[in-house]
Amino acid sequence: MDGAHDMGGVDGYGPVKPEPNEPVFHGEWEKRAFALTVAMSRPGGWNIDMSRFARENRPPADYLSKTYYEIWLAGLETLMVERGLVSREEIEAGEVLVPPKPGVKPIAPSEVTPAIRRGGPTERTPASPALFAVGDTVRMKDIHPATHTRLPQYVRGHLGVIEINHGCHVFPDLNSLGVGENPQWLYTVRFDGPELWGAGSDPTLSVSVDAWESYLERS
Amino acid sequence: VLKDFGVTLPEVTKIRIWDSTAEVRYLVLPMRPEGTEGWSEEELAELVTRDSMIGTGLPKQPGEAA
Repeated sequence: MDGAHDMGGVDGYGPVKPEPNEPVFHGEWEKRAFALTVAMSRPGGWNIDMSRFARENRPPADYLSKTYYEIWLAGLETLMVERGLVSREEIEAGEVLVPPKPGVKPIAPSEVTPAIRRGGPTERTPASPALFAVGDTVRMKDIHPATHTRLPQYVRGHLGVIEINHGCHVFPDLNSLGVGENPQWLYTVRFDGPELWGAGSDPTLSVSVDAWESYLERS
Repeated sequence: VLKDFGVTLPEVTKIRIWDSTAEVRYLVLPMRPEGTEGWSEEELAELVTRDSMIGTGLPKQPGEAA
């Protein structure tokens, strides 16, 4: 979706203010928001791409006025409400108002650390040969899906060169819709600064993005 | 953005941006500071900072290390 989260190349946000000795968490509630989101994904039955969409799919003013973990918490509430695991009334009240949905098995505390250690590898066995080779010039498709995509707006329609082939990876655009992993070849595509930022921009600068095969067309 | 992080680079320095749009993660190999020839791995590791590995800073210089 073309939302506030896709802010690459957008002006007006002012300077970045790096936080000295930035802690991993700024308070106990941030730890809990993170842990709850991770612990709920299995009983809730969602994947990382669904949770990313739940975080980004909100009005720009709302998205931009929330901190990082406020967005995580809001995304978790969306995912749980969508699946009938909690109601808005219960979130407001801070307590259980209706009997819990049957058949939902919470993750045990002892399962958490191994699950986090395993991570979420996305590489899959290829089903067909790669369409593009390192060095090929490609054009990024100018598409605007209303659902989750990892194709940044600032590269759409632009010409780049295939720099790396990363193998086949779960395709987030479809995985976020719950229609399967649909793995595709994943490439790093490199763009010259002026191709993206126009005449007068720094000619020595380049930008590389990772892009799935269906984002690309032969130029 | 680099200026926001307190980094000023010579005009001739080529800047490469990596937008991490997939699950592939990257880290930057910090540029070895001058005057560190013959340093051990442990001594060099003391100069490495978070910012120097995410491309928004240079490693500490010899003498700067804690």
